[in-house]
Amino acid sequence: MSHATGASLRMRVWRHRHFYLFISPFFLLFAVFGLYPLLFSFYLAFTKWDSLTPIEWVGLGNFATMLHDEVLVTSLWNTFAIGCMYVPPMLIGAFLFAVMLNASWLRFRAFFRAAFFLPVVTPMVVVAIVFLLLYGQETGLLNYLIGLFGMDPAPWLVSERWSKPSIAILLVWRWTGYNMVLMLAGLQGISNEYYEAARMDGANAWQRMWHITMPLMRPIFVFCAIMSLIGTVYMFDEVFVLTQGGPGTSSTNFGLYLFNVSFTDFKFGYASCMAYTVAFFVFIASLLILRLRKTSTE
Amino acid sequence: MKRALTYILLTALALVFLFPFYWLLISAFKAKEQIFVLPPEFWPNPWRVANFVDVFQKTHIVRAFFNSAFIAAGHCALALFLCSLAGYAFAKFPRAPGRDHLFAFVLATMMIPGAVTLIPVFVVLCKIHAINTYWAMIVPGAASAFGIFWMRQYTMDNVHTDLLDAARIDGCGEFAIYWRVVLPILKPALGALGIVLLIGVWNNLMWAFIVLRTENMYTLPLVIYLLNGENRTPFELIMAASLVATVPLVAAFLVFQRQFIQGIAAGAIKG
Amino acid sequence: MCRWALWMAVVAAFGAAAEPLSDTPTPDPALVRGDLQVWAWNIAAGSLNKLVPGFNEVFPNCRVNVHMSGANLQSRFLLSLSAGVGAPDISQLQIREAPRYSITGKLADLTDVAKKYETMFPASFWQDCVYQGRIYAIPWDMGPCAVFYKRPLFDRYGIHPEAIETWDDYIAAGKELVARSHGKTRMLCLATGSLGDFFELLAQQNNAQIFDAQGRVAINSPEMLDVFMLLKKMFESGIGANIAAWGPEFMASLKADSVATYPTAAWFGGTIRDYAPDTSGSWGVFRLPAFCPGGLRTSNLGGSVLVIPDQGTQKYAAWKYIEYALCTPAPQIEQYRSFELFPALTTTHGDPFFDEDVPFFGGQKVRRLFSMDIEKIPPMVRTTDWMEAMRYISQALSKWATGGLEDPAVLLGRLEDKLSRRLNRAIAP
Repeated sequence: MSHATGASLRMRVWRHRHFYLFISPFFLLFAVFGLYPLLFSFYLAFTKWDSLTPIEWVGLGNFATMLHDEVLVTSLWNTFAIGCMYVPPMLIGAFLFAVMLNASWLRFRAFFRAAFFLPVVTPMVVVAIVFLLLYGQETGLLNYLIGLFGMDPAPWLVSERWSKPSIAILLVWRWTGYNMVLMLAGLQGISNEYYEAARMDGANAWQRMWHITMPLMRPIFVFCAIMSLIGTVYMFDEVFVLTQGGPGTSSTNFGLYLFNVSFTDFKFGYASCMAYTVAFFVFIASLLILRLRKTSTE
Repeated sequence: MKRALTYILLTALALVFLFPFYWLLISAFKAKEQIFVLPPEFWPNPWRVANFVDVFQKTHIVRAFFNSAFIAAGHCALALFLCSLAGYAFAKFPRAPGRDHLFAFVLATMMIPGAVTLIPVFVVLCKIHAINTYWAMIVPGAASAFGIFWMRQYTMDNVHTDLLDAARIDGCGEFAIYWRVVLPILKPALGALGIVLLIGVWNNLMWAFIVLRTENMYTLPLVIYLLNGENRTPFELIMAASLVATVPLVAAFLVFQRQFIQGIAAGAIKG
Repeated sequence: MCRWALWMAVVAAFGAAAEPLSDTPTPDPALVRGDLQVWAWNIAAGSLNKLVPGFNEVFPNCRVNVHMSGANLQSRFLLSLSAGVGAPDISQLQIREAPRYSITGKLADLTDVAKKYETMFPASFWQDCVYQGRIYAIPWDMGPCAVFYKRPLFDRYGIHPEAIETWDDYIAAGKELVARSHGKTRMLCLATGSLGDFFELLAQQNNAQIFDAQGRVAINSPEMLDVFMLLKKMFESGIGANIAAWGPEFMASLKADSVATYPTAAWFGGTIRDYAPDTSGSWGVFRLPAFCPGGLRTSNLGGSVLVIPDQGTQKYAAWKYIEYALCTPAPQIEQYRSFELFPALTTTHGDPFFDEDVPFFGGQKVRRLFSMDIEKIPPMVRTTDWMEAMRYISQALSKWATGGLEDPAVLLGRLEDKLSRRLNRAIAP
């Protein structure tokens, strides 16, 4: 029987050879730029290497170093803080914008959509440079406006306490449109029948929102929340250009710290170790959040 | 009444969101002193075109523009080809042994965070002497599992197997079927995916910073970033360069707005 | 087309990589052609730029472009070295980092062409430029140390710099200064968060090594204990102002009365000139206090070198420029004159320029003062992970200073342990 199956398997593979041919470019590229790097990175996590001198095996040394690395802890804390500062307002804003744009009677929808989405497509460098101007200590527009109200200028980019909120504001501006589009698609996916049925039952707009829209949108909310939080961990351009992680290390998130360890200090072994560890924890955290969503869906 | 309020609110918010673009626009036409003057000027007086002349003469922005365009085109072409080919294969070859397992594998690769592979990919590129070439920007990342997922979905929804069977009966080769029958049907999805990829690779700063090592290879965002880091670059030059870098993207976005947003939404909803 | 050219360059660089730069008889200078890219920072870049016309008089067909590129210089340099493409023809490095790069084999071997200059540079400096007997860097400027002080403040409170010969004298004078000024004026800036430089200055002065010649951790030594005891005494005496080095308050203190002295390196003179040009004439310099009577009254802090990445295709031309700028007296003196970069080239130290009265310092012959006893400065053994070790030490110093200044002997024991663990090095017996 096995002989027959073996022959038939080979025959079937040969018959469908084009399938394997067509998917092979992907797998080939993935092998070179995905799988091999993944394995090599894992190996590097146990070594000390700066790419210019020979590789040195250090076993669990990098993991031990991670435990005492104050800057790593700071960067993770910063990531969390920035996430807390920007994700809730952004998601709320995105939802409100989506609700408004979803109104069937609305005209110029494309204009509003474009206005909110444009920040997403602009090169981050440009965004950061403009915000550098706006956040200027002496000559920035924001401080000027604040001054008009009689208040003291805010040390947007020069104070350790203000650097994170400054980044958070930038992030809200940049990503609200993106999440708005996702939520809009979600809203448009809700069948009108639900609303009709509710209207006939006498529910008002607020009740319809609370009992139909919100629950049905929950998967989208969760998705947006997870994507945003993961994004905060690994984001690079915003921090790199606006504050370079400073002043001090006050706005260094994990993405920037990883880049610094990798390509400024050139500690490839330690960087790989950190990357794997944090990726692992992010993965676990995502699973937990998804779990939460599953258990609370009736 | 509610409608009027909504319009007012939306317009106000839209203006707030568009304001930084306005500031970019007018700053690019100001002289340096005017950019940093108090109170800030909301209308340049006069509109200095000299900034742009300087940008084209003193920086490598033209070359950078070409580099960005070439890399974006190459990356999109490669990725679209790979993803549509593999997506079609996964969609329309139901009886190939192991197909479902292979597809599950592809999906699984979506979970790999890029951060973990940065260093090894850099090392690989160094070893094959591909650093500072267009390949270094085009090839890594072209194998997009998300792209395959989307193409497969679109193919399943829009390409009828009867069409393919008919072509096979006519004696058409498999690749020819893909090229002449399937691809035209996939055009809208290709457009949407293409524009998403395009904007991603065009705006990429980190990878460009790592793999592009000489000035003649720099992309647009990289040139602007390095201009900003130089000690003595006049700021109005940076603003003008930034505007030059942004305008094509904004234009492309406005033209292809629907496809782009479709692309973003499709990926997320099905994800 | 450009990629093809790049491939050629890479292949050419590969081919050239194996050979150290050879000292063939100098061809006709007019035949030395090149379009050199040089990476340097700030003042240093300006200084190199100023030398180009003079260089072109000897080598007319060589163009030199000095880039003062500030953004992520180290990152871009390392990326280019690692990838084998994109590095400049010449790059500036801090002397402290030189060992880290020498070991990589990515810098051009300059032994054959530079050996003859070995005796013209201080041993303490030359040591960091050499790896396993081969020369990879050329010393540029160094930072001999002394104490900058404000004459008006010393006059006002009756402090006599000639009377300060040891650190104990210095502390005593500091206490008097604080007392007489009722706390308004402090002797020096001693911020708990920026002790790294001062520590390095003291360590080198007292020959307190962090590593020994075999690269083992040797920090737990009597000499190092002296350094820590001194810092402890300084903190406890209250003569320091908690002003972070190089911060805005620090720069402001140069023009104010808050701080009276700055024990640091010669290049600091350039900083004072830049930031407080109006204070010209009111500054003075006295020799660094010794650890014990008759001890060494100078040290070294900072300084740079120039290196030639091995991937370059114009290494000979690059070498000629370095030779001109760093190994001949006139350009080095020019750099001191215009940019306060103290030449590491000892043959310049006999020049009458060093005996001139310097008006900025009240007519004092400060250059001669800085040049004294340079050859006696003990070399500091620097390993490839020197910068990392210094980071750990700075962090430990900061915690120690804010945490009550526990017994230095205990601290040293812990530091020794930590360095050994983190850097994977044995501890010297």
